[in-house]
Amino acid sequence: MGRAETLALLAAGHVPERYRRNIGTIGAAGQARLLEAKVAVIGAGGLGGTIVELLARQGIGYLKVIDGDTFAAHNLNRQILATEHNLGMNKAAAAAARVTAINAEVTVDAVPAMLCADNAAGLLAGIDVVVDALDNIETRLILGRTASNLGIPLVHGAIAGFTGQIATILPGDPGLDRIYKLCAGQAKGIETALGNPAATPALAASLQVQEVVKILTGVGRPLSRQLLYFDTELNLFEIFTLG
Amino acid sequence: MRLEVRLYATLRQAAPASPDGVVPLDIPDGATVAEVLGLVKIDPADVRMIMVNGVAAELGRTLMDGDRLGLFPPLGGG
Repeated sequence: MGRAETLALLAAGHVPERYRRNIGTIGAAGQARLLEAKVAVIGAGGLGGTIVELLARQGIGYLKVIDGDTFAAHNLNRQILATEHNLGMNKAAAAAARVTAINAEVTVDAVPAMLCADNAAGLLAGIDVVVDALDNIETRLILGRTASNLGIPLVHGAIAGFTGQIATILPGDPGLDRIYKLCAGQAKGIETALGNPAATPALAASLQVQEVVKILTGVGRPLSRQLLYFDTELNLFEIFTLG
Repeated sequence: MRLEVRLYATLRQAAPASPDGVVPLDIPDGATVAEVLGLVKIDPADVRMIMVNGVAAELGRTLMDGDRLGLFPPLGGG
């Protein structure tokens, strides 16, 4: 079944079997909104791999996955798209293949390039929600400025060790510079010392996907102007106000 | 006056006697966040976010009796 056919069925009150377990939470109208939505995922590593997987299963109609990196053995501990058989493969291309295997109704574009100041606006034009699944602060700030300039909601996530943080930045909200305001020019965080164990990116990625679903369907309350911080070493889940 | 400092992730290493990262601290009246960092011997370069009573704040913020000061190192991984 194609996406147009599914949308026609949803409009007529019929829910295709593959989406039935979504409907109690977001409704048929919410599912239709997801199938009509365009989401860009920037980074297809630890966060991005799980984000792409879940967005495809949830039924986002269009995904653009941007990553110029290739899989290496040190990705295998946590990056759901990395396998012993695809080491050396571009991460965005692997994500696109996975999306197609999960849900052929999803149109997916793989961009095998790193997002940068020169290409960001062009790559994000026409996108409804952008997901920050990057692995460095410098590019995050470029992404944040671009999303703000284009008026696109941004779902931020970052991890290190047992810790992670998630924030939704709607147009007009305080931006990523509020989160990363000190130590300008520092490209990396404490993940250089703590590493990224298997479960942390999956946890943060799942919370980011819930934010995307809430933004697009209007169900629930996104983490706008807030930051959710978790530290599973001490079982802390706290929400802070960004202003 | 009395402050509750909450240290997150790697910043807890600055208070080995408080494994949960919660450090009660007596500070002079009118002390700023930057001055408290000196008292707990944390380099401002290691702090990315500052929260006072759960709300984002700046290094120059003057603290009040009973405030809860959260200090966070930068997370950049993905």
